[in-house]
Amino acid sequence: MRVEYINPFVEAAYNVLTEVLATDVKRGNLFLKSATKPVMGVAAIVGLAGEVEGRVLFDMNKQTAMKIASVMNMEELTEIDDLVKATISELANMITAQAVTKLHELGFKFDLTPPALITGENMEISDQEVEALIVPMDTPHGSIEINVAVRERS
Amino acid sequence: MSTPNIELAKGLKETEHLTKVDFKMISFTLAGKDYGIDILKVKEIRKAGNFTKVPNTPIYVRGVDNLRGDIIPIIDLRTMFNLPAETKDKESQENIVILRLDSLVLGVVVDTIEKVVGFASESIQPPHPIFGDINIKYINGVVENAGRLYIILDVDRIFGEPEDVPEAAPLAKPEQAAEEVEAAAPGEPELPLDLKFVGETLAAFGQFHMTPLNRDWVSSRLVEWKKSRKARGLDFQLTQKDEADEFLDAFDSPHSGRLWTTEAIESLAKILSFDASSVVVWNPGCGRGYESYSLAVLFERSFSGKGYKIWASDNDLLNISTAPSLILEDSEVEKSWREFTVESKNGLQFGSDLKAHIVFEFHDLNHPNPLAEVHLAVVRDVISFLKPSDQEKVMTEISEKVRPGGFLVLGTNERLEHPEWKPVGNEIWSVYQKI
Repeated sequence: MRVEYINPFVEAAYNVLTEVLATDVKRGNLFLKSATKPVMGVAAIVGLAGEVEGRVLFDMNKQTAMKIASVMNMEELTEIDDLVKATISELANMITAQAVTKLHELGFKFDLTPPALITGENMEISDQEVEALIVPMDTPHGSIEINVAVRERS
Repeated sequence: MSTPNIELAKGLKETEHLTKVDFKMISFTLAGKDYGIDILKVKEIRKAGNFTKVPNTPIYVRGVDNLRGDIIPIIDLRTMFNLPAETKDKESQENIVILRLDSLVLGVVVDTIEKVVGFASESIQPPHPIFGDINIKYINGVVENAGRLYIILDVDRIFGEPEDVPEAAPLAKPEQAAEEVEAAAPGEPELPLDLKFVGETLAAFGQFHMTPLNRDWVSSRLVEWKKSRKARGLDFQLTQKDEADEFLDAFDSPHSGRLWTTEAIESLAKILSFDASSVVVWNPGCGRGYESYSLAVLFERSFSGKGYKIWASDNDLLNISTAPSLILEDSEVEKSWREFTVESKNGLQFGSDLKAHIVFEFHDLNHPNPLAEVHLAVVRDVISFLKPSDQEKVMTEISEKVRPGGFLVLGTNERLEHPEWKPVGNEIWSVYQKI
């Protein structure tokens, strides 16, 4: 993954999460992964198209998703209902959009697809021949893994 | 079970490791250090000497001996493990441990045989990844007893493998042994063994993996290393990380981690030639980017009519993050290279025209890569630091990606022998052209 893309995603994730959760968020160490990846329970996917192609995946477990949705909606949510799903999709949208805005400022142009939300047990995401950058974010409500797989059209 | 019984059992368990003796070994010394062999493998101990030499055997085979009518081979463990052994005159008696393995009885010569030591088998600890003298594969574990540390040897591994082949190939599979004999200088039969030891030590300390790619270098470096260590009165074995690093210092190709010189660029450009109007260059393991920028200067200077794109990558996030805006010291940049640089507020940098030709990526060479075909792959001093199985994988990937007629630049001390690749390099550049 192109070096210039890394920071916008990391910064956007940090800024948005700190803002919407109004709490301290810690960033774990970045690393690269290419193997098939199990999904923790709730995953939001945002596609990228244009000069580059790829996708950003936000992965968390159900408890984390419910807690984050509760904080963002300022009410106690106890099951994965439409409101929780819409909230997590929106969170994914906010982070990706902010990253893409930063990238636009640096001169890289690409578009987003609307987020898709996937929930369930024992799921795996397989990307053919894509290496993903993993940005682990730790919040008091649980951890979120942001999995960015973007490649230049070569 | 009633409660008191459980408590009794618990109490027993707590003291068990102090009192239970379920492992006994014969302890002995080699070059002043304590070792042990499982007593169940030991048939007897005795003193003997004046062995009958057998011609054309490895140097650690002292000969054969007559044990009450049975002819058994005698192996000198000190020679086998490259430990110093005092030379005794021919008539004197050696201490021998006679081992009974599955299909084989043999004697091993040791310095002194001490006693039988008993302890609980759970107090055996796994060996530390590195034991300077003896290869870790041949060690069962380490145990402390009465203030002394014993290294327990795995005699089945040492003498047994591969199955049912007696001491003929105790240290390497036959085909490996054959390869190493080739690599070694003739007339130095002990070299392959040393080479293997050093190779494995380097893998543990320096993440450097000895394969045919770099074996010639390790082998010639070892000769040099032994000389310099001897001059300082030291053993040649690598026992610490700094020693491994010192050994590997000489491996780096010229101009590693800094800009190349004009001279070096011209010498490389003479070797290369491209038909295509636009050249794709693959530069994995580019570090902080000096190599990639130097390549860009090479294309600007020597192939100015052609378009080019350099795909540079590294798996070190810190290094690769600084690559796109690498700051240069004035002294680093040759005068004639100034035309490619600009002054920025942080210092001297390469200009955006040059940078537009390079894409820096955070990428692990072991992962798939979207690049299709490349005309030139510059992979210096990178593959040697991958695990042997990964080395093979990456070499296959390079072979697939480089177009016929394209070039591969390896580290100066790396060599490739493959029918598909024709060596076209010189003494500074290890370059191969794909046929």
